[in-house]
Amino acid sequence: MKSSPFSRYAPKSSIDIGVFLCRCGGNISDTVDIEKLKSSIEGAKVVKEFENLCSVKCQKNIRDIILEENLDRVVIAACSPITHKKTFQNHVTPLNPYLLEMANLREQCSWVHTDGDKATDKAITLTNAAVERVKYAQPLDTVVRKIKDSVAVIGGGISGITAALSLAKQGVKVHIIEEKPTVGGNMIKIGKVFSPEKMVEECALCLFNPLINEALEHRNIDIITSAELISSERKAGNFDLLVEKKPRYVKEDKCTACGNCAEVCPVAVPDQWNENLMYRKAIYKPFPQSVPDVYTIDEENCINCGKCEEVCKMDAIDLKMKKEFIPLTVGSIVIATGHKGFDLKNRPEYGHERYDDVVTQMELARIMGVNGPTKGKLLTPSTGKIPKRVVMVQCAGSRDEKPEGKRYCSKVCCMVAMKHANFIKRCYPDTEVIICYTDMRTPGMYENYFRYGQSKGIKLIRGRPGEVVRKDGKMVVRVEDTFRGELLEIETDMVVLSEAMEPSEGTLKVADILNVGLTEDMFVKEKHPKIKPVSTDVEGIYVCGTAQGPKDITDSVSQANAAASKVSEMMNGGLEIEPIIAEIDQSKCTMCGKCIDDCKYKAIYMYDERVSVDPIACTGCGICVSSCEDGAIEIMGQTDGQIFAMISGMLKDKKDGEKIILAFLDYIGYVAADNIGINRISYPESIRIIRVTSINRLMIKHILYAFENGADGIFLGEYPDDLVYPDIQEKVHEFKAELIKNGIDPDRLMYYKVYAPFYRGLAAKFEEFNRQVNKSLDKYEAILSKASSKDI
Amino acid sequence: MEIKTLKIGKKNNKLTESIIHDLRASEDIGVNKCIQCGMCTSVCPASRHSDYDSREIAKRVLEEDESVICDDIIWNCFSCYSCHSVCPVGNSVAEIVQILRQKAIAQGKLEQVVIFLVFGESLMELGVGSIPLEYFNILIEIIGDEYLDIKTNLDDIREELGLGKLTLPEDDTRDIKIILEKTGFTGRLEKLRAYKESSKNSKHKG
Repeated sequence: MKSSPFSRYAPKSSIDIGVFLCRCGGNISDTVDIEKLKSSIEGAKVVKEFENLCSVKCQKNIRDIILEENLDRVVIAACSPITHKKTFQNHVTPLNPYLLEMANLREQCSWVHTDGDKATDKAITLTNAAVERVKYAQPLDTVVRKIKDSVAVIGGGISGITAALSLAKQGVKVHIIEEKPTVGGNMIKIGKVFSPEKMVEECALCLFNPLINEALEHRNIDIITSAELISSERKAGNFDLLVEKKPRYVKEDKCTACGNCAEVCPVAVPDQWNENLMYRKAIYKPFPQSVPDVYTIDEENCINCGKCEEVCKMDAIDLKMKKEFIPLTVGSIVIATGHKGFDLKNRPEYGHERYDDVVTQMELARIMGVNGPTKGKLLTPSTGKIPKRVVMVQCAGSRDEKPEGKRYCSKVCCMVAMKHANFIKRCYPDTEVIICYTDMRTPGMYENYFRYGQSKGIKLIRGRPGEVVRKDGKMVVRVEDTFRGELLEIETDMVVLSEAMEPSEGTLKVADILNVGLTEDMFVKEKHPKIKPVSTDVEGIYVCGTAQGPKDITDSVSQANAAASKVSEMMNGGLEIEPIIAEIDQSKCTMCGKCIDDCKYKAIYMYDERVSVDPIACTGCGICVSSCEDGAIEIMGQTDGQIFAMISGMLKDKKDGEKIILAFLDYIGYVAADNIGINRISYPESIRIIRVTSINRLMIKHILYAFENGADGIFLGEYPDDLVYPDIQEKVHEFKAELIKNGIDPDRLMYYKVYAPFYRGLAAKFEEFNRQVNKSLDKYEAILSKASSKDI
Repeated sequence: MEIKTLKIGKKNNKLTESIIHDLRASEDIGVNKCIQCGMCTSVCPASRHSDYDSREIAKRVLEEDESVICDDIIWNCFSCYSCHSVCPVGNSVAEIVQILRQKAIAQGKLEQVVIFLVFGESLMELGVGSIPLEYFNILIEIIGDEYLDIKTNLDDIREELGLGKLTLPEDDTRDIKIILEKTGFTGRLEKLRAYKESSKNSKHKG
């Protein structure tokens, strides 16, 4: 073996390798000539064969031999590492588990080939390649991530409070960061809530307030209101956050919330918390049950007259208060920044900006809230009278592909409309309620509530209204009753628009600061919507509630608990990670940042003028190795040395006339190949499989090296995961172009999308590629022989 | 009630497909995405003043009801594009109707298009689209003297607003005429004129 120029992880000058062969109760030995294999292994100190290597008895045998012979490395030539790598890693203790290499003689040889001689030859190559590769193995330690036992929950609505409480009860320190002067979010504003199973509207505040108070009093929870996240940096699995707390101009520890200040305040401004339906003062408390229970001066509107200061008996007002910066180091972040209602300026045809009596569902919630502008009475805004008829318009901004519209269904509006309609019917039985809908979506148990509403006399008209206009002094909703094909103009006192849910500004801001990905609709994107919910694309950052997408309180609470559970898993689980990850050579790194941009898993980040790798986020895919122009990155356990050794090991015993195709497969590809074996489907002996973390780990130097050393073809197989597939495509094009430049037929390289259950497809592709390579080589031969006959 | 059997293997979406791929249809026209919400009808002036129902047109197309092509109802749309502007799935009944009308004309159904003859003739003459002279009196009746005022002082009003003359220079009118001839427009007008004449004659005979 020539010394490798490729890697800084060069092999030791002398290493003692032990090779253990497994007959697998005939599964291997019936096809492969074990005696011949045994005598053909090169470079090993000892070669031993066993009937069943994976048995407990053999564990002791292997260990004894390692100690007796003083072995440095071990090769196990047996079955698939997918099945038994962990077993053998235990068998080789006291050796480091990463000083073990496996040759897959069962799934990749004896089970897929019937010709004994060819299978034996292939088994020899596979074993010798493993011997070559193990020389480059490095002892690695599993990475144990130690992260700080504290969490930042961004947003103090129902999702944030739920997640915070769950974590606090598990002993985790939680900081809730809320941008408003009070926690509570949207839920505290809506007055009534609906729930599955119950035929009644319940009091939102009564359900939520005890939770808020529990959070307030919990010793593990620290609530920071009027505060915003302004920066975040990752550091060794933790996050360094900077929070800006706006001055309240009222000392929280002194204010008794007596309200004298607000009484004398001369400035009245629209009250946002009440959807601008009434006025509040420049010194205010959003609502009586606000938490924390203190007043706040709104600096935008305060005229600094000092009247509040004069009347405050507690001396709590401090007009010179400055903003405060709070640094926090946390192990994890939960994004619970919620949603906002669709801006109905974008649907002028519904007249929300023109007519006082066209309101949104949230405005209706405030009107009907006992702590709202009418103290809970349903009154028509323009007349102050109880409306005789209320028309609700569904999908205002949802399911709408027009500009500014939201393509998605906002999921809760049908139930919100039913809730308000039922509530109106309960309190004002004489008021008629009509819901104009396209589809009523009340899935699961909510259907009961829908039926209940129907039985109470709520009218439903199937049609999407086009406009709200005034006609002959009356407000009119224009809609087609599509069941009857009748164009209606419904006179009404009030129109309620069921506004779409869209991500709040806070959600967008926080996502930007934390660098988490967003969906097409600008909600926080989950790592995988099906199997990785609540995880974002940044390791350690989770999402719950309406920041992730439209949903009701029931779902938000479930999701918040799921997020808390994921955080807790990280903090209490003593997380151990396989160390097959990127490592950066700081002496070579010039901090160009290219790897940070190219990493699909957001695993690389800059901290304290060092490029660092998050071991949990890194998958070892190796995209960064290709993008690093300084050669400063290696993938541990997949070093250049190991890859080159595997390639040369596979090719060094190549006989005259023998064809060898190297098949580089990722994990899914490898599993599919194992399945070919398990199902005893055959494919050509020329196929030699090398497992890689991803095709993206390979570089043109590996490909050219393989061809130079006698490979007849190269097969690349990987599951086309959304994150890495575009790079693979690019890579394959690059490889083909380079092959052409080097005078190699690009047909001798193939990429195939592998799907684990479709192993038959992979076997067929192996066959096809084998034919393709042979054809290419024959063509080449023909040209050569023609040329040489001319020469003669 | 009459039962309509949806037979397996008789999949037919010829009419829908031909509309989607017609040159006059917007790219990504949402014909197939229609869920019959009726929003188009709710804002449609033709639906308010006649038996026309925009939603129904979209439905008949999706049902592959070829009879819609020769149905006089499609001539009730006056292309205000209200349906087009409100449709939440990007469908456009206004465009569908225009395509259906062309299909009707191609099938020789000309009686509805005859009323457009005067518009075509005025385009030939002036080179720009304008309201034909024969509507002049009707419009004064509907709009009032205001209309007469505008019409008689149009050039002055336009000059005041810094706008050029509405009528095109003679050269341009001639060029447009050539274009209309080469593209077959003139031919179609003649066909229409002939149809008008013949239908007049047959009426006389009747």
